Formats: sequence, C-alpha cells, structure tokens
Amino acid sequence: MPGFDSIEQLRDAFTGQRYLMDEGLATVVFLAQRLRKPLLVEGEPGVGKTELAKALAAASGAPLIRLQCYEGIDVHHALYDWDYPRQLLQLRAGGSAPLYSEEFLVRRPLLEALAQPGSVLLIDELDRADDEFEAFLLEFLSDFQVTIPEVGVIRAEVPPAVVITSNRTRDLHEALKRRCLYHWIDHPDLLREVAIAKARLPGVGERLADQVCAFVQDLRWLDLYRSPGVGETLDWVEAFHTLGREEIDAATADRTLGTLLKERDDLERIRGQGLEALVERAGERATELRQDGAPGGPG
Amino acid sequence: MEPPVGLADQGARADGGWSPGTVPRPSGAGVGERPPDQAILAAAVALARALRELGLTVSVDSELVFFSALAELDVRKQSDVYWAAHAAFVHTPDERTVFDSTFERFWAGYPMTQPQRGAEHGESDSRMGGHQHGGEALPQFQQEGKAASAVDGDKQRATRDIPSAEGEKGASDQKRGVLAAYSERETVSDKQPLAYNHDELAALRRLAEDIKRSAPERRSRRCRPARGGHRLDVRRTLRDSMTTDGEAFRLAYTAQTPRPRRLLFLCDVSGSMERYSRVLLASLKAAVGAARRAEAFVFATRLTRVTRSLDGRDLERALEQARAAVPDWSGGTRIGGALADFNRTYGRRGFARGAIVLVVSDGWDRGDPELLAGEVRRLQLQSRRLVWMNPRPMEVDQQPLAIGMRAAMPFVDDFVPGHDPRAIAGLARLISDLGGQRPQRSQQRPVRAAVSGG
Repeated sequence: MPGFDSIEQLRDAFTGQRYLMDEGLATVVFLAQRLRKPLLVEGEPGVGKTELAKALAAASGAPLIRLQCYEGIDVHHALYDWDYPRQLLQLRAGGSAPLYSEEFLVRRPLLEALAQPGSVLLIDELDRADDEFEAFLLEFLSDFQVTIPEVGVIRAEVPPAVVITSNRTRDLHEALKRRCLYHWIDHPDLLREVAIAKARLPGVGERLADQVCAFVQDLRWLDLYRSPGVGETLDWVEAFHTLGREEIDAATADRTLGTLLKERDDLERIRGQGLEALVERAGERATELRQDGAPGGPG
Repeated sequence: MEPPVGLADQGARADGGWSPGTVPRPSGAGVGERPPDQAILAAAVALARALRELGLTVSVDSELVFFSALAELDVRKQSDVYWAAHAAFVHTPDERTVFDSTFERFWAGYPMTQPQRGAEHGESDSRMGGHQHGGEALPQFQQEGKAASAVDGDKQRATRDIPSAEGEKGASDQKRGVLAAYSERETVSDKQPLAYNHDELAALRRLAEDIKRSAPERRSRRCRPARGGHRLDVRRTLRDSMTTDGEAFRLAYTAQTPRPRRLLFLCDVSGSMERYSRVLLASLKAAVGAARRAEAFVFATRLTRVTRSLDGRDLERALEQARAAVPDWSGGTRIGGALADFNRTYGRRGFARGAIVLVVSDGWDRGDPELLAGEVRRLQLQSRRLVWMNPRPMEVDQQPLAIGMRAAMPFVDDFVPGHDPRAIAGLARLISDLGGQRPQRSQQRPVRAAVSGG
C-alpha cells in the first residue's frame, strides 16, 4: 500500500474517493497508517464507519478484505478452515499429499489479510461478536500473526491496515482498545454534509441537497430515538430526486419520510410537529447557506 | 533523567523546554524549531498522568502510542497533537469531555498538577476508619427481629403477607429475612452512611449465591463438541476418521452452548420509595456481583447507571460508591422521563435486547402517563421479559398518584406485588422461574388507547 506522506495528502486521496473527512479523522487515519496500529472507530449508525475502510482501500489502491462479525463467529469463519470434501477425496483416492497442508487450507478473511501484502482489513461491527472472539483477535492485532496448529505460525510480511468498527452495543474489552487508536465519528456539520451529498450524488441539484441537509441537521437536534445518519440523508436526497423534485415540499416530504426516519414514534412526532414549518425552516437555512457565500467544500 | 513533574516546569525551563502552546512564551523554546525529544516526552508523560488522575484508563501502551505519534506529526500544531492524544488516550465517547478540558490546560501550558481530589480520597479513608468490621450497629440500622413493618406501616401485615415470589415457602423466618428488617427511619439520605451490619451482609452474599445459581440462560450461537448435539462436526469427524483409514465410523456432533441471559434492573429510588432504597441498593449489589451479565440503573428524577460502582469486591465500599454516584436520592419521580433516558442512551445500544428486565417502582409518577406508557412499551419490545415489582400494590387502584402504574400495566409481562422487601430477596427464585420462557404478548395496542382504558 503506498503510504501517505502528510495528512493533507491523505485527505486529498480520500476526497478523490468521495469520502470527505474532517481534520480529526484524517489525523487519526494518518497515524494509524504510520504507526501500523489498528484503528477502532465508533459512532452513531450511518456516520460512515464502514465507508471509511472502503475509502481507505480505494484511496491507497489496496484490496479490501472484510470480516463481518456476528455472535458465535469463530476461528473457522474468521481465520481458516480445511477443505473437507477435497481432503476426503484425497483419502479415498489414496493420494500421498499430506492432508493438512496449504493445499487444503481454506483462507478466511483474517488469513487472507495476512497473505495479501498491504491489504486493508475491515473488521466490521466487532461488538456483535462475543468476548471469546475478541480475545482471539488480540494476538492477531498486536503481532499480525496467527498460529494454525497443523501448519505453524503465519506472519504478515507487510501488516494489513486494520479498521475495526463498533456500534457500542456492548463495551469492547480494554485490552483490545489498548492495541488500537480510537476515534469517535460524529455526524457531519451542515457544510460537510452538503459537500458529501454533492460528492456522492453528482446529478442532484444544489438547492435540493442544501435543503435536505438543513432539514436533517435540524432533526438531529430533536433528540429522536434514532437520528438519521448520512446514509439516510443521501437516501432522502435521492428519493426527492427520483420523484423529480428540485426542492423539498411538505407533501413529498410526508410521503417519503420513511426513507429518513425508521421509528414509528419518531415519524409520528415529526408529523405531529408539522412538516410545513420544518420544510420552511430548512428552505431558509439553505438560502442563508448560499447567501453567506460559505464555501461548500470540506472545511 | 529527572522525572517529569508537570508542564509548568517544562514550559518555564529556558533551556529548550517544550511548552506545548502556539502562543510563543517569553521563556519558551523558539517558535519554529522542534523542541527536543526529552521535553516532548516529559510533557507527554505529564498529560498522560493527568488524564489517569482524572479516571481515564491510560496504559503505558497508550503513552507509547502517543509518543510515537508525536514523532510523526508537527508538534507545534494544536490539532495534530490534539487528535494524536485523542486517539491514544480516549477509549469511549464519555471520556471526551474530561479529555478536552485537560488537553486545553495542557496546551495552554498550565501546570498538570493534581486536581482537588481530597474529598474522594477522604471517602476511602473513612472506610479505613472501619465501623463495618467492628460489629457495632450503627444508629439507623434496625436490629433483626424487631419491628419489621410492612410498607404501609402495618406491623401485622409483614408476617402475614409474604410476597408471591417466596410465598409458598412461607420463609418469613429465614435468615435472608434480615434484608426485610427495615423501618421508617431507614431511609437513604446523603448524609448518613449506609452502614449494613454483619447479618445483612451475610444475607446479601446468600442472595448473590442464589442469583448466581438461578441465572436464566439462553442458547448462544457458539458451538461446543457435544455427544448429544445435533450439528455434525465435520472437522472432528474427519480427524477421527484418520485413524480408520478415512472411514468415518463415528460421527462427531456439536451443540449450542448456553449463555447467561442478561439481567437488567431499573430501580426507583425516589422519595416515595425511600423506605426501600437502602435494601434495594444492597440487592442490586448482590445481583450485579453474582450474575455474569447484569446491569443496574437507579432513577428518581433522572437515570444513573450504577453497574460500575457496584462491581467492586468490597461490598460496603461499592454500595457507598453507588449511592454517591446518584445525584438525586429521594428526589421526585419522573419514571417516564427516566425510562426515556434509558431507552435513548442504553436501549439503543442493546442493553435490553433479550434481557430479563426488572423494574422496581411503586409507579408513583408525576410525569406524563402517556410518556410513561410509551416508554414502558418500548422497553418491553426490546426485552425478553419485562417484570414490574411494585412494593405498594394495594395502592395502585386507590391512590391517584399511582396513575403511572396503571399506565404502565398493559405493557408489563409480569406484575409482582412485593409487599415488603423480602420480595427482593426472593428475586433469585423469581428470575429463575421466568427463565427462558417467552411471555405471551398480544399485538401492541396504541399507547393512547391503553392509557384511557387503564
């Protein structure tokens, strides 16, 4: 993986991948890469944790290897397994090749990441895995090596860049956190969110993007059960765009609100507050945004 | 190498000491040059130490990470240093506030001396004073056997009405009953120490044992080799077949392993529950210590998570810490608001998912009953089972203040009247009885209808 020489260069590379990051995130990603440390990112759903790893892979031209965690995930799902059917065939055929050799080894994501030099390894939603798996990861994360009893120790020539995400459905173990750099990703502010919308959805008009983002920013202050993430903002922009709207209006907003809010209580609350007022206010903020002549780019 | 003392010393040093600040200091190093490593190291250590003092988990590893990060960055740039320190030292979003203020001081070049911690140290000192092992009963402790009265002050009732959880055993004379010994004087105020005596502490340990034994389980997705399992273990079967020349004579199986189910306690410690809160807190301690996965929250006007405080080994100290952590002992009641807090901050993170949720409250609520009903419903939907234990069940129908209880009723899977706190001691059995069963729930009714109907 070609390294980044400065934080600015890294940020530009990410921007090239249409992933706009703030200064904090850029610094931390830069450091993770320089110090060869895993990066643990947490944040509300929809702030772009998984996207970060994808963008990192794309920006550095490295293959992305993804390990999705779930309860009960174990070594055979994460690291390696043996190709049993082929082993059985070999036994039956009376072949002479050793049964437990690389030939019959099935590489799972972690092993794959060690084997491919300079890859980006995404360990997604680690909080969904259980404590035992977390403990297993410790060896992997500190030394970038794993032990397969039948084969021996496998070590990475070039350690992969590791991004771990967590939704905080439980607290991760201190020992794991200690091995990582930590970053909490916040929801982007209005300017950045607009910039993200434009970067991601190039065909969409500026006015629409401004309004939707302003609307969503207001919603995030309302202490909803489930604040919409950037992903949902983009979905909503696209919803308006698909329906041929250049601006948001209360009627369309009402019909498409389910794209943005996914809790019945939240929906009822927002509808109860009156969508007209919210839409109007979003329109005003969008106008202000352009009048101030604020640069739309990431700042 | 002299030990780094604080930033003040570093900044004041004329001979090239590093003052981390963008503002050029008269005595500081020349701006534009990178300060010597020695000075940076000292300052980094001082920051780490200050953060550790403030309760962040700062390991030597993190310090090393921070120091090597500084080597990669422009140490004169505030944002670089800030984010490097942030990445190394902060491990949960809750720590960010403390970190920010500490970093601000650090960057401004203020001394990183210890903040006023006298009071907190005093706490542990007073513990050393040691009344708990002296065996002397403290003023507000009610001696066992004397004047145990029911919640409503009816002394006869206490012996007759045994809570349902323990009911059939008629165990009023059991040792565990000491937990039930309480009187009106036994309220938890900020001033008095909680002072549990030997018998009570022993009873608590027994309760903890009970809970440990009876903790309900759920099946985990993780498999273990097992004879009676239902899932074929290809790996082991194949390995076994090696001894028989590739002929799989014996099939190996795996089965899902049981896991303890999460227990979630939400306890009311408001004014109207004053007489129970002391016993309640102790029971919580027992549960948190015993069950591998238990979470405890208390609320009056707001919600406080006490799991961490109760987690300690030292029973008395843990209880005092938990009490100290709750800002509104015996305050007013806002059950709906507290549950909303829970649902928003913890429920969303899955604290109640698949858990057995135990709410202990008399349902006296001064808040909006509609809000309460909505939040209870939300909690129920997330939980495996929602149990509401009410120490004043008699008043639910008569007391106008118990409107909260009536609002919550439709969304409660089990309603347990607990005339006296012995019910809490019987928790263990109750919990194990509820165990794995999924409650019968009808389609959720809209909140408004439920309130008006109740």
